[in-house]
Amino acid sequence: MIAVLGLVVGVVAGLLVRPEVPAVVEPYLPIAVVAALDAVFGGLRAMLDGIFDDKVFVVSFLSNVVVAALIVFLGDKLGVGAQLSTGVVVVLGIRIFSNAAAIRRHVFRA
Amino acid sequence: MSNQDETTEKAPKAASENPLRKKLPEEVPAETQETPKSDAPQLPSQAPKAEASEPPETEPEQPEPPLSGRQRLVNGLWPPRLSRAQFIVALLLFGLGFGLAVQVASNSDGDGALRGARQEDLVRILDELDDRTQRLEEEKQGLEDQRTELETSSDQAEEARKQTIEKEKQLGILAGTVAAQGPGITLTIDDTKGTVEADMLLDAIQELRAAGSEAIQVNGVRVVASTYLTDASGGAVSVDGNKISAPYRFKVIGKPQDLEPALNIPGGVVQTLEKERATVTVERSDKIIVDALRPAKQPDYARSSSQ
Repeated sequence: MIAVLGLVVGVVAGLLVRPEVPAVVEPYLPIAVVAALDAVFGGLRAMLDGIFDDKVFVVSFLSNVVVAALIVFLGDKLGVGAQLSTGVVVVLGIRIFSNAAAIRRHVFRA
Repeated sequence: MSNQDETTEKAPKAASENPLRKKLPEEVPAETQETPKSDAPQLPSQAPKAEASEPPETEPEQPEPPLSGRQRLVNGLWPPRLSRAQFIVALLLFGLGFGLAVQVASNSDGDGALRGARQEDLVRILDELDDRTQRLEEEKQGLEDQRTELETSSDQAEEARKQTIEKEKQLGILAGTVAAQGPGITLTIDDTKGTVEADMLLDAIQELRAAGSEAIQVNGVRVVASTYLTDASGGAVSVDGNKISAPYRFKVIGKPQDLEPALNIPGGVVQTLEKERATVTVERSDKIIVDALRPAKQPDYARSSSQ
């Protein structure tokens, strides 16, 4: 419950404050958000499976974000940033979908 | 990376050592006494109907009935527990929500598409814009050329139209279809004795023409190239079929300094007429108005061969 509240409060705060995104993190923010979404869906699925562990969630969340940003950074340095970030988004999207399917099976039993 | 990966590899461990399930037993009894129908079969997700069909007979002899996912969700949601884990997760989710909202907000700005774009994308966009600008410039140049062309051609058409009108007027003066005015003379032949005949008037007209007259009318009849004069009964003269009688008043447009001497030369028109005892007066004028008209006649056979 508190976690959901945290999400809602974060969205509201982001909409209200509308901070200027620093130029340094600008290219990494979208990918990081997608990676974090993947971690959240994975955590939700683990919770429904009854094997949720907050430590695992925290580590996976942070490592997801960091690795995604790292991949984009590396891709930018290698000159394939656009393609690599597309690839990351595709992979994360697939994972999000599979996790969402598991969640759906749990919640709707269908 | 995510929990799911960890859980799949951890699943056997979780079954054996089970660090998570340690939390469950303290929750499960509370759960079971709250919702007595939680004694779902071993595969709750596959037998929801069975669960629904056998509601009340709850035997809590099973020590740890596995919770269904839905119940776990409800469990996690409703009684809010203030644990450290919840706070950490809430913090992370706050960060996620914040980043999400910020990204969405910055992306939905007017220049959001460019703000998030990479350097090479920006270069490509700039190139495309340059190309487009160039194409549009070329198009503009072409259209401007076309406009200039049309303007000059319309100017030319206007000029040609003016010239045509001018020429029409000039030709109209010669053909007698338009009125004319200008310097000239007035030649008045008063024939009291009835001795003036058509050929004398014709001589006068010829003399005037030879002296450069440009428009002539006599007693309200315009004299043109096809004008003919005949003697009419009663000492009158017929000009183009119009009978006129003395005094004959010629209005002539031309250079007065040429016309008057041409009439007055010795043995010329004036002397000849005076010999017939007619009174002839010639007076110059700065403004002679020749306003007698004759209708334009469409030629029946002759066609312009210029075009």
